[in-house]
Amino acid sequence: MTAANTKLSRTPAGGPGLRGRLSDLSSRHRSIAVIVGMSLVALVLPLIVLLPPFSSFSGQTVWMDGFTIAGIYVLLALGLNVVVGLAGLLDLGYAAFFAIGAYTYALAASPFTGWDLPFWPMLLVGAVVAAIFGILLGAPTLRLRGDYLAIVTLGFGEIVPIVILNSSKYTDGPNGIGGISPPTLLDTRFPTTGNPWPFYLTMLVLIILSMIFIYRLQDSRLGRAWMAIREDELAAAANGVNTVVTKLLAFAIGASTAGLAGVFLASKLQTVTPNLFRFDVSFTVLAMVVLGGMGNVWGVAVGAFIIFMIQSVFLKQLNIFFNNVQVPILSDIDFLQYQFLLYGIALVAMMLLRPEGLFPSRRRRRELHTEEDEVFAEHGDAMGAAPE
Amino acid sequence: MKLRKLGGLALGAMLVAAACNTGGGATATPGAPAPGATQAPVDKGTLKIGVTLPLSGGAAADGQPTMKGAQLAVDQANEAGGIGGYKLELMVLDHAVNGKYNEQQGAQDMQTFVGDSAVVGVVGPYNSAVAKVQIPISNDAGVLQCSPANTNEALTKPEFGALDYRKNFPERINYVRVAATDDIQGPAMAVYDFNTLKLRNLLVVDDVTTFGKGVADNFQKKFEELGGTVQRVGAPADTTDFNSIISAAKPETDGVYYGGVVTSGAGLLLKQLRQQGKTFPFTGPDGIVNGSGKAEGALIQIAGAAASAGSYGTIAAIGDFPGRADFEAAYAEAFKNDADFNTAGAYSGPAYACATIILKSLEEFLKTSPDADQAAIREGVRAWASDTSNTFDTVLGTESFDKNGDTTQPFISFYVVDPAAADGAGDWVFKEQLNFAQE
Amino acid sequence: MTTTTTVLSARPSFVETFQRLRLGPYLFVLGVAAIDYVVIGPNQFVNALTIGAIYALVALGYTMVYGIIELINFAHGDVFMVGAFTSMFVLTQALGQDGPIDSPGMLAVVLFINFTITMIALGILGAAIERFAYRPLRHAPRLAPLITAIGVSFILQNIIQIIYGPSPINTPQVIDPAARVEIGGVSIGVVNIFTIVTAVLLMIALQMLVSRTKIGRAMRSTASDRDAAQLMGVDINRTIAITFFIGSALAGAAGVVQGLYFGNIQFTLGFQAGLKAFTAAVLGGIGNITGAALGGFVIGFVEVTAGALGFFVWGQAAVFAVLIITLVFRPSGLLGQQLGERT
Repeated sequence: MTAANTKLSRTPAGGPGLRGRLSDLSSRHRSIAVIVGMSLVALVLPLIVLLPPFSSFSGQTVWMDGFTIAGIYVLLALGLNVVVGLAGLLDLGYAAFFAIGAYTYALAASPFTGWDLPFWPMLLVGAVVAAIFGILLGAPTLRLRGDYLAIVTLGFGEIVPIVILNSSKYTDGPNGIGGISPPTLLDTRFPTTGNPWPFYLTMLVLIILSMIFIYRLQDSRLGRAWMAIREDELAAAANGVNTVVTKLLAFAIGASTAGLAGVFLASKLQTVTPNLFRFDVSFTVLAMVVLGGMGNVWGVAVGAFIIFMIQSVFLKQLNIFFNNVQVPILSDIDFLQYQFLLYGIALVAMMLLRPEGLFPSRRRRRELHTEEDEVFAEHGDAMGAAPE
Repeated sequence: MKLRKLGGLALGAMLVAAACNTGGGATATPGAPAPGATQAPVDKGTLKIGVTLPLSGGAAADGQPTMKGAQLAVDQANEAGGIGGYKLELMVLDHAVNGKYNEQQGAQDMQTFVGDSAVVGVVGPYNSAVAKVQIPISNDAGVLQCSPANTNEALTKPEFGALDYRKNFPERINYVRVAATDDIQGPAMAVYDFNTLKLRNLLVVDDVTTFGKGVADNFQKKFEELGGTVQRVGAPADTTDFNSIISAAKPETDGVYYGGVVTSGAGLLLKQLRQQGKTFPFTGPDGIVNGSGKAEGALIQIAGAAASAGSYGTIAAIGDFPGRADFEAAYAEAFKNDADFNTAGAYSGPAYACATIILKSLEEFLKTSPDADQAAIREGVRAWASDTSNTFDTVLGTESFDKNGDTTQPFISFYVVDPAAADGAGDWVFKEQLNFAQE
Repeated sequence: MTTTTTVLSARPSFVETFQRLRLGPYLFVLGVAAIDYVVIGPNQFVNALTIGAIYALVALGYTMVYGIIELINFAHGDVFMVGAFTSMFVLTQALGQDGPIDSPGMLAVVLFINFTITMIALGILGAAIERFAYRPLRHAPRLAPLITAIGVSFILQNIIQIIYGPSPINTPQVIDPAARVEIGGVSIGVVNIFTIVTAVLLMIALQMLVSRTKIGRAMRSTASDRDAAQLMGVDINRTIAITFFIGSALAGAAGVVQGLYFGNIQFTLGFQAGLKAFTAAVLGGIGNITGAALGGFVIGFVEVTAGALGFFVWGQAAVFAVLIITLVFRPSGLLGQQLGERT
């Protein structure tokens, strides 16, 4: 509870040496680290794909378009990470908020309603609308224990596409909504094809802003309250954390990030249909968060990016490759079809062997390997994480 | 043990595959020339025809025979020495995710096609919902897209909102199709049900998809115009229990129209209808005409041959085309080594025709401007194909397109289930076809 | 339960006896059923009872596992799906059946063998899942086994998909699905009656097992206080494994019945059914066996009534609405099990 204790748990255990100093530096200036890091990544990616073997699959434009879509998943994973990774609440219907964001923009800027509201403020509106739905759903259910929340969100994730499908009057039902306006900047519409940079850079900015926002939250009083709840809700409540409000905020912030991603998706595809937001989206994003490393902002971002590229590029190229060379058994296997088998095996293996994910946050690793340093986990972390 | 072995095999295969791919990635697209490379006059290099279909999982039964139709046309063109000095390559992308078509993947695949300057035209997609996300992209880039199977009327006809999908270039027609639209297919079956089968009170079930609901709406409108009554229900495609719908059907119900495609829904509806003793006709659009009782996941296979008797379906394309027997023989010969898809499907012919249309447009354009660069070829192909004055001799007969890109020969073919066909497994047999061309 | 007043009066009043019997929830369900019968008619009522019976059987597994280790076993719906496929395998491969069996004696033998093999196989599967996927995580944070459960669910689905393909497959309906009997002027399918009777018999058997046997007592004591039970000499690991075995065997039985009733199965079958069965378990009061059974039937009523009234597409949404409303207003469910909420 003391400031010293809190400080202790936040100081990275990097120690001396270049690596330690670097991580020390980056954790002290996280916003700058995010901006520099993401900008570097964003600069390097379009260059890498000019080299073989990437260049042999498709051209730079196509790659960058894929990266932009991958960015949507990174955004989703960042948001879900707040709910699952930081606050420890299992949300299995995350795609519902994605859908709500997408339909908010679709209704605001398409011939279906006849409105053409500008994209940039709608980004915020979409996020707020999704957050409101998050609060409406969370307020009654967050008082219950965590696994109830999982099942309620799963139900919610099922209901939202059903409602969209069957409210033809307001959503055009299964037809979806077409002709959605792309974003406009300085009176210029973002091109659908040919020049991927406007969408790409917009996505980059959204990710950077979200990451900074989430890092700030994580280091704030609220962030420590989340982690306290994640570790031991009773203890957190006993230490004066208002668990319901704290959980609700995590839920709302997660939902708003999905709303943001939804608005972007709608403007990128220019068409939305209920089919885009089925439960497999929720589970894919969950797998990204778990595999990337729950609680670690960079980890889930990288995890989401890698998993998305594997499923949309690598497995596909495997199919094309084996079909072309006609290897007897391999050309009959459809690798795309086994995507969820891989997720399943990875989820189980990860929980059993490396529950902290591929790129764990330090704090999370300590929690999940309690036997190794039980003393520290119990006395240092759990108490330090409680608010002053 | 069997489980584990198979799982292990698949896993092992993936690992091997992963290893192979890093080494041999470049061979995945053999012969693709670098853009702008100097080419010998005789062999100018390779141009690509894209194919965008759902090809895996439950959607394979729809996509694979369709893809192979296009493949046959391209293979034949190559055997004949290519077109205008170019070799042709089929570039196939699958947008099924977990066995079901996925719009977002479809959009990404279309970006891949438009981003590859060697692609001069695209065959597909199969599902109207996918077309709705692809057309804005292909329209923007000016890539010709020819769908063998899309029937949703909103994709082409401005009065149904097609301009929403070609917002940037409303006058540039880049999407054409050889299938008749649902505002023809639905009413055609309505007339057939009312006049030929003499049905008056129908239970209309749709599968709550873009296609299914659209065609059922069109059907219902016409059927009610004719004086029939309709009881309308929506049931998602993965529904297993239709008993409550069947029990709720009005006593005077004398037939069913199912708007949608068979995943399992239509088959189970039919099966449960017969189990409840309802022997009246079961009718539907092309979505239910999906193969014989031997085909996995087909309506007849799920419901059983006996229960399928009395089923009537439409195909939104010409069924009895002049070269049909030759085409099916050629298909069977070309793909005789394929275990699963060695007979032509309902949309193999239309896909073959689509490929023919793209190739013919390419050939005509290259005749006038043999030295055009790839961008010019792409635009030339699009312009030639969408020119309403041009005609194409295809396997389906002489095709041409109207100002929206719709076929001017919208045929609807009627099929009926013969329980004795396909060695007693039951199959659809062609009954008649009607041309709905408007003067 | 308040007992202070009953001690004072020599003979409890009628109202008190009534309260002590805690018949309220049962009467509530009966009332719902009666009203529903009037609204939807006898045919639909039978439809509702039939699918309700299947949901109830699946719900039992959820409720037992939750009752004993407080884990939502997300893979349970897929265990049910594997049950349907195992039953198909037994019928077609082992017993060589492909359609209705006419002779009643032969039918009884085939069904008996099918139920026995399927239930044992699924019980072993369930216990194995517990052993390898959940037991190592018994002391891990709550999130870990939930995520493992989702992973197991994916694995089960994909294994079936690899073996049997993604398309829906026909499974033999050894009880002639068209056979019907007249009961009280209503024509009812024989397979419907079989489904309902089988489910009820299995539920009674389970109730007996839990309340009358030694292993049942071990299960109850482990559920109420694991540490105390251990001190009393209960083998916790064994008890939990047996709970998984029984719950999964019941899901296997539900799978058999599903195949017999619908005659067609697909690898995706478990997801929706599992969700609905879980709703049934929550509605009945999670951890409560009778509650899960009642909840299953209520879910059947909700779904079929929506279909009967012409709102079929809203049926699923209605089921989840029931789930959310239950959790908000009565998180302990109809029968108010003490395990309902214990944050």
